[in-house]
Amino acid sequence: MKFHLSHLQAMLLFALMISIAFGFLSRRRPLDRVKYIVWSLFLFLLFGIGIGWAMYPFSR
Amino acid sequence: MTDDAQIQTAAITPPDRAREARAIAIGVAGWVVPGLGHALQKMWGRAITFFVVVGVLVIVGAGMRGNLFRSEGGDAFAALGYFADLGTGSFYWLAKYIEVGGSDVSHAYGDYGTRFLAAAGVLNLLAALHAYEAARGRKA
Repeated sequence: MKFHLSHLQAMLLFALMISIAFGFLSRRRPLDRVKYIVWSLFLFLLFGIGIGWAMYPFSR
Repeated sequence: MTDDAQIQTAAITPPDRAREARAIAIGVAGWVVPGLGHALQKMWGRAITFFVVVGVLVIVGAGMRGNLFRSEGGDAFAALGYFADLGTGSFYWLAKYIEVGGSDVSHAYGDYGTRFLAAAGVLNLLAALHAYEAARGRKA
């Protein structure tokens, strides 16, 4: 079994899995969990893509 | 200590010990099989979630040929990585089974796989700790 995920795919999968786990761990009500998961996922992606762009000038 | 307090302590201690022992057993069960600690407390949503999330991270991490650390690592980072990987409990052997070709961190995805495996372990330890605390009645 082999997976060849791109950087973005790996980040998306990682962010989604961790957000879901944290949402279920820290909230009890379904609606609160959904809000937490969406917010956490958004922040993961924001910071991931943001840091990626911040490093861009130094990549060459 | 007053007589009332002594009587109260004597009345509380045996059930508390039983509860603590049960909580430890639940914590260990949650570590060995991701989600089992919550399943034993009928927290089905959390049980299924942790089983699936830890399972997906381990399968994808091993499938990306991440580094699955072993006990004879050598340095502190390898020992820390081994500790994190062991956090997946029985899924450590699942990762070993999937990763028959060994790790390959010469590519970026191999390095990502290493992080996936470590994250799965740490997440499972966190879930097991949560199950233990819930069994003690501290939080749910």
